Amino acid sequence: MEEKLECLEYDQVESVSVVKFKDAKVMDPSRIEMMGKELIRLCAEEDAQSVLINFENVSFFSSAAINKLIVLEKQVRARGGRICLSNLRPEVRDLFSYTSLDQLFEIRAEQQDGIEALQSEPKNAD
Amino acid sequence: MLIPLTTHFSAERKMSEKSLTIKRELESNPRECVTLIRQMLAGLESFGWTQQDVFGIHMAIEEAVMNAIKHGNKEDSDKKVQVEIEIDVNNFYAKISDQGCGFCMEEVPDPTLEENLEKTSGRGVMLIKNFVDDCKYNEVGNSVELRKSKTTE
Repeated sequence: MEEKLECLEYDQVESVSVVKFKDAKVMDPSRIEMMGKELIRLCAEEDAQSVLINFENVSFFSSAAINKLIVLEKQVRARGGRICLSNLRPEVRDLFSYTSLDQLFEIRAEQQDGIEALQSEPKNAD
Repeated sequence: MLIPLTTHFSAERKMSEKSLTIKRELESNPRECVTLIRQMLAGLESFGWTQQDVFGIHMAIEEAVMNAIKHGNKEDSDKKVQVEIEIDVNNFYAKISDQGCGFCMEEVPDPTLEENLEKTSGRGVMLIKNFVDDCKYNEVGNSVELRKSKTTE
């Protein structure tokens, strides 16, 4: 990853690409656009097969921000990879349940749970 | 007390010990939402609303204003979005009106259906409904009123 990341933090844990958001409230339209581009660029450059998105510290996430995750999920899945979300606050978790997006994304309580899930056989459930 | 805001469009914010009223006329630009949201969040916190309630109201307002700007006014710079918010210690009310031609609720695809899950649109109305107690559109569909009462433990 050569270019500096403005909106994301990136780490490689074993075979899993771990991404965190720098903004607690992911709501500013220009930041959301930048975040979406960084997500796509990062996962493409790293050829990420297993992506864990850690929502630690995220207190707000708009539907515009969710759309960026949906685009990323399609691209990672097209390469045969998987995405898992972790560390969601209850209200952010509700956002994914209300919209049934918890069917599209695997959601785990903690980062380590997500990493283990990504390193095991694909499955559903929370 | 009336505090005029230093912006080029009409705006007012009335704060008393018992309630806060925010009235704004927004340009049809998604960035317009940010300042409004910050004012509203500060108001909710000053009246002791919980993190969970504040999240829900934030989500509903954000989606309603963005829908008005993007889908209602189609980001037309000649069109405005009117926002009125009233907050007190127990109740939240908001009215968001755009100058678009409205929409029919029945025609909005259900975003929770499997075939729609991967679509990157159509979740706003559902989120608004889920995060407030009452969400009422006018007949045309270019104005929505939102209500929420503070959650009691």
